[in-house]
Amino acid sequence: MEQKLIDFITEEFLSDDDDPITTQTKLISSGLIDSFSLVSLQTFIAKEFGKKIPAPKITAQSFDTVAQMMEIIDQF
Amino acid sequence: MSYNQNLKDKYCDILNNLKSSGLFKQERLITGPQDAVINVEFPIGTPEMQVINMCANNYLGLSSHPDIIQAAHRGLDEWGYGMSSVRFICGTQSLHKELEKVVTEFLGTEDTILFSSCFDANGAIFEAILDEHDIMISDRLVHASIVDGMRLAKAQHDTYKHSDMAHLRKKLEQHKDYPRKLIITDGVFSMDGDVAKLDEIVALAEEFDAMVFVDDSHASGFMGKTGRGTHELCNVMGKIDIISTTFGKALGGASGGCISGRAELVEMLRQKGRPYLFSNTLASVITAATLEVFRILNKSTERRDKLEQNTIYWRKGLSELGFVLKEGDSPIVPVMLFNAKLAQEISYDLYQEGVYAIGFFFPVVAQGQARIRTQLSAAHSTAQLDKALLAFKKVGKKHGILGLSKEQLIEKYGL
Ligand SMILES: Cc1ncc(COP(=O)(O)O)c(C=O)c1O
Repeated sequence: MEQKLIDFITEEFLSDDDDPITTQTKLISSGLIDSFSLVSLQTFIAKEFGKKIPAPKITAQSFDTVAQMMEIIDQF
Repeated sequence: MSYNQNLKDKYCDILNNLKSSGLFKQERLITGPQDAVINVEFPIGTPEMQVINMCANNYLGLSSHPDIIQAAHRGLDEWGYGMSSVRFICGTQSLHKELEKVVTEFLGTEDTILFSSCFDANGAIFEAILDEHDIMISDRLVHASIVDGMRLAKAQHDTYKHSDMAHLRKKLEQHKDYPRKLIITDGVFSMDGDVAKLDEIVALAEEFDAMVFVDDSHASGFMGKTGRGTHELCNVMGKIDIISTTFGKALGGASGGCISGRAELVEMLRQKGRPYLFSNTLASVITAATLEVFRILNKSTERRDKLEQNTIYWRKGLSELGFVLKEGDSPIVPVMLFNAKLAQEISYDLYQEGVYAIGFFFPVVAQGQARIRTQLSAAHSTAQLDKALLAFKKVGKKHGILGLSKEQLIEKYGL
């Protein structure tokens, strides 16, 4: 799951000159992923892992890193 | 609950947090009309400084142009001050219809509808023409008013990486089954000054049967050979389905905006656009003065030509001094510093040297992309630009950044 998330985020959100991300890279609070683009992440998680994460769970506090994402995905 | 101490404290906390994180915005007091040189009090209460203004959207130098001021006076005398009505009750004067016609002809579209601001225009459009079965696909760097407009719409949404056409294609493929698709972009992006690849966007739109929306607020009146906007520059006149723009920047700078484009889409806005139906008509005095703006623009390209010359002169001057600039063709010329503190310090030092230019840093631009954004005007004289260049030289020297590459700048000051 970890690698799939990292691959998707890299492909979907990073540009060529961005540094590679880790499970601890802050994504939303750093502005790498803007709030409007979170939908495509939500859609990816639903498709790839069959988990529908409710929008209120997807915030800059609780969904900021890949590690946090995996925690939340596991709750559903 | 009344506004008790507890609530008051909460708001004070939030405001103090903004201050401590450097995000608190302080207004500068301008003590006269907008122009190439202005008098400024900053911070408010300190002695007034006369500075060359490098941060107004007064691209064509029309904001305080005597012809425009006169036209506004005439408009006031002939058409009154207020209309006290929305457009469809008793707020439409022949003046408003005339401006809509003139804008339509200038932009080369089918019809135009006026709004009190472009923020309102962008807030109206998406909800009025799309429903929940449709999709909006927007560039990730579109203006805040577009983001808000998209939030108000029931349509689905997705985004593509800034000006990344391969990514846009991927998204269009992914969403090809939606009955109506709308690609959404700024014409000129206000932070970087770069131009959307409208020729490629239009080609993709044709391939995938999508509509195209362009916000030309930072382009109308000067981009393209005759100043019609980015659709002229990119050779796609008549192929942009919806153009939104503001009268609050190059086109006189007071306020007001519009949507111009396909006749049916404009009519949808007249019937369903909420900021159009439920907000007051554009003030007659502004409508009259904006008409004069278009008269000036239709007479000659002199002002946009001067702006273009000024931009070339300014870019060349800053490059020769050894500053790192964002490449681009628009009169928005960002001087890249990468480090937020350095950008703030340089802005402050420039002000002391008589040049008013603002630093932008995260969260307004991406982290590590701090800059001074300079904006040219047709009102700038070469002498004023020379003086401003001299100030940049002095301040650049003081911080030891002249001639440094991006990597050297980052090494010296960090991100
Ligand atoms: C790209 C863009 N669109 C819309 C607006 C809003 O225009 P107005 O001031 O007419 O509401 C702005 C102004 O900041 C802008 O830069």
